[in-house]
Order: sequence, then C-alpha cells, then structure tokens
Amino acid sequence: MLRSLTIAAVALGAFPAVAAGPLEVTSRVMVEAKQRADDGSTRVALLPARRVVPGDRVVFVLAYRNVGRQPLSDIVLDNPVPAGLAYRAPAQGSAVPDVSIDGKTYGALAALRVPVAGGSTRAATAEDVTNVRWRIDRPIAAGTQGQFAFQAILR
Amino acid sequence: MFVRKAIPALLAGSAGLCFAGTAQAAPQTTAGTVINNTASVTYTVNGTAQSSTSTTATFVVDRKVNFTVVTDQSGMTQVNLGQQNAVTTFKVTNLTNDAQDFLLDPDQQSISLGILPGTDNFDMLNLKAYVDSNGNGVYDAGVDTATYIDELAPDASVAVFLVGNVPTTPTAQLAFDSLHVIVAAGGATATKGTALIATDLNLANADNTVDIVFADDDSDGTLYLGDIARNGQGRAYSGYEIGTHNVALTVTKSARIVSDGVNLLFPKALPGATVEYCLLVNNATLLTAATGVNLSDVVPVKTTYVPGSISIGLPGVPGIACVLSGSAEDDDADDAAESDGFTASFDGSTKTVAAHLDSVNGASSIAVAFKVTIN
Repeated sequence: MLRSLTIAAVALGAFPAVAAGPLEVTSRVMVEAKQRADDGSTRVALLPARRVVPGDRVVFVLAYRNVGRQPLSDIVLDNPVPAGLAYRAPAQGSAVPDVSIDGKTYGALAALRVPVAGGSTRAATAEDVTNVRWRIDRPIAAGTQGQFAFQAILR
Repeated sequence: MFVRKAIPALLAGSAGLCFAGTAQAAPQTTAGTVINNTASVTYTVNGTAQSSTSTTATFVVDRKVNFTVVTDQSGMTQVNLGQQNAVTTFKVTNLTNDAQDFLLDPDQQSISLGILPGTDNFDMLNLKAYVDSNGNGVYDAGVDTATYIDELAPDASVAVFLVGNVPTTPTAQLAFDSLHVIVAAGGATATKGTALIATDLNLANADNTVDIVFADDDSDGTLYLGDIARNGQGRAYSGYEIGTHNVALTVTKSARIVSDGVNLLFPKALPGATVEYCLLVNNATLLTAATGVNLSDVVPVKTTYVPGSISIGLPGVPGIACVLSGSAEDDDADDAAESDGFTASFDGSTKTVAAHLDSVNGASSIAVAFKVTIN
C-alpha cells in the first residue's frame, strides 16, 4: 500500500495535476432524513446538511464521472476525514472503503492496530480513522459515473 | 466547479497522523467552525498517472445549546425568623459547544406543587440571584455581586446563590424558591447578552451562518411545567425551612443577702440589709439563639432598689456570685449609647427593673443581677 502511494507522489512531481481532468469528482455533505411514504413505510433519504450540531450524523458523498473520451483505470479516491468529525461506517448502498489510521496504511478497520504508549498496540476503532479510501479495480468507460459515501459524526 | 490545486497525498497523510492522537475524548466542535471535505483522486489514462481533487463540500457547525441547572445542597436551607442573607445554592453547567452568557431569574411564584415535600406558606424578602464570582462555592456578600453568568466556557460549571431575607411572620414555616436560568448570547466579556432565540427549524439554513439549536432537557420532568425540553431555559428548586419556632427558655430567680451591717460572715435579713436578686436566663435549645429577650421584675414591697446596681453578663457560681463577668447597666431608659447587646433600666414609679438581652445563644445562660435594701 505504501508503495502505491509513493508512486502517486512521484507521479505528482512528474505530471502536475490538470485543473479539470477527465475524472470529475464532486464532494457533498448530506444528512439522513427519515421520510414517510404514502403507503406508511419509511425510507431514509439524503438531504443537504443544513443544520449540523455536535453529535449529529452526516454523510459525505463522493460522486465521480468520467467526462473524458478515454477509459480511466486505477482510480483511487482518498478522503481524509475532516477535523472535527469521527468516521462511523460506509453509508447505505456504498461500497465498503479501506480505512487508515495514519494516512499511510490502508485496510479493513478490523485489521488495523493503533500503537499505544509502552510499545504495544490495540485494535483500531472507528474513532481512530483518519482516511477513507476507495479503489475502482476495473477501468471505467467514458461517461460512466458512480458514487461512494461514508457516515461520520460531528464531534 | 471549484477545483483546488493538487494536495500531495503524503502531506494529507501526515496531517492525519496528528489528528489520530487527539481522536479520543475530544470536546464538542465549537459553533461556527467551518468543516471542509475534499477527496484526492488518482487514476491513469492510457497508462499515464494523473491526480486531481474533488470539489469541496462545506458546512458550518451550528450552536447546540445545552446546559443543566441543579440544586447544589442537601435538603432545604434551615433558617430562623428574621435571618438576613439566607442562601440556597445551585449549579449551572454549560454543555453548549461555545461559551454562553446565562440570565438568572430568582423565582418564588412559579413553583409547581409536589416537587419538594411540604407546603410553601411564605415568601422570602428581597430574593436575589448572585454568581459565585470567586469560585469558592460559598456566598460572600459584597464579593459575589454578579447577577448574570458571563462567558461560561463549554463544559464549565459555576455556582449560583439565591440570597434573601426571612420575614418575621410567626406562622412562616416553609418557602420554596427556584432558580430559573435562560441562555443568552456569549462572545462579549463583561457584557450581558440577550436571550437566545432558536432558529426556526422550518426555515432553510442560511449557509455559512450559525443556527441556534436548543438541545436542553426538561430539567424538572414532564410532570411539572416549570421547564420544558428544548426551550433554552432551565430550572432547579430548593427552599427555606424554619425548623425551630421556639426555644426552651427558662428564668430562675434567686436571692442572696450581701450584707446586713452587723454580721460580716453570715449576713442576715435584717432591716437595712442589702439583698442581691439574680435572674438566670437559660436557653436549653441547642444551636438556636433566643433573640430579643425582655425581663421585668417588680422590686418587692418593703424593699428599696439600690440605684445603679443592675449588672448583666455570664453567670457565676449559684449562691456565691450571680454575674461572673458582666457589665454594669445604668438605670435610665436611654440606651442609645449601649453597644454590648444588654440594656436595663429601673422605673421608679412602678418600681420595676427591666432588662433586655439581644440574644441568648443555644445551650447557654445569661444572668441579670440587681440589689435592694430591706426597709
């Protein structure tokens, strides 16, 4: 994992980022709202986050779209969890991301361990997560779009 | 579309490492904090690596107003009739994600029945609310003078005192009081903020402004209407109880012949002999003083009051000395110059000795002595 990041850093130096590349990624912050349908059932809808106070759950949505003419491959979306928020879980309907507690090592949350004083480690919890990352294994064709999302709590 | 210049992935990673150290037990995010979310993206096009960033999603953390008001004493304050500056103690804790002012309202009227045991039957006089400005948990008259809580930090607490005077109404037994607290705007030190008003939840959030959301509990429970949830107000109840309405006050009178002009050792009750009368006032009730004790004693017939012979003070050994260490009192009724709390006079027309004791402490005695001669 570290290796691929190093490559990314080198690539940054070699090829400065294009302001508007073929992959358009839009970040949105939403809140879950229960909505009652006419048939009496309730469903959870995502609404723009208007009023957020500590303890509230928000959903960060990353929507991507290939606006170029070429297929794109090896897509990695890395979302640092904003300061003041605690990662909770992947949002409903979203692929499960790899997470990291240091921005370097990524994996399933259960596989990560946090160093503690004295040289030992403890199991990582959602509170420890600093970065959320999705990889799209297959190339996506021009015009293809999709989205990922994760839930977080405002501290 | 707003696109930031590329964020180097490694830089983002090191920033994340710092964050991990403070992830546990973080305080609430302060109202007004702007939260930005941006993802970094890498991909390849025909084998060429590219990087980019997402748009930035932003929101402003709103103000979550929450606080508690509790009674910070055990039971009701025990007071005596006429007591000045009697105190009930409360504690206000700010759980809002920002510093707030709090307005204080001392209340004796809106007391829901049944919250505290007993029946309220009097009101305190001049009941005021003061903040424990010096933070020692005790009301200090002249020091704790602030009448509103100024800039209480998140998660901080402060004591608030309700201070009042007990009336002298003999039937007074129990007075409930309550501290009613209203959250107010903070941000300006030494300035009393105005009461906050919650942002209408039906209105759209004006982006990049701090909405006010009331999240305070119903501090007195659903049964009682002194407070309701999410109103930006809180209330706690206490009271003043007059525990002692009377004391076990007794007066014991004794007489001792001081001299008869004949016998030096054992003086007898001969005409012309001097007799000392001793009035021993005893308060047998622990902890409660008897105040304003008045004594009057008519000099017996066929005796003559010895002018200037009244003495008041701590009692001596019975039969030997009535007053051990006392002060001589004059006979006139003008006691303006008296300062020791004891006054006395002799009325020549009614032949009455009158004495006034400001206070006889619990479990203690005061003696009043005066002399007469036998005609």
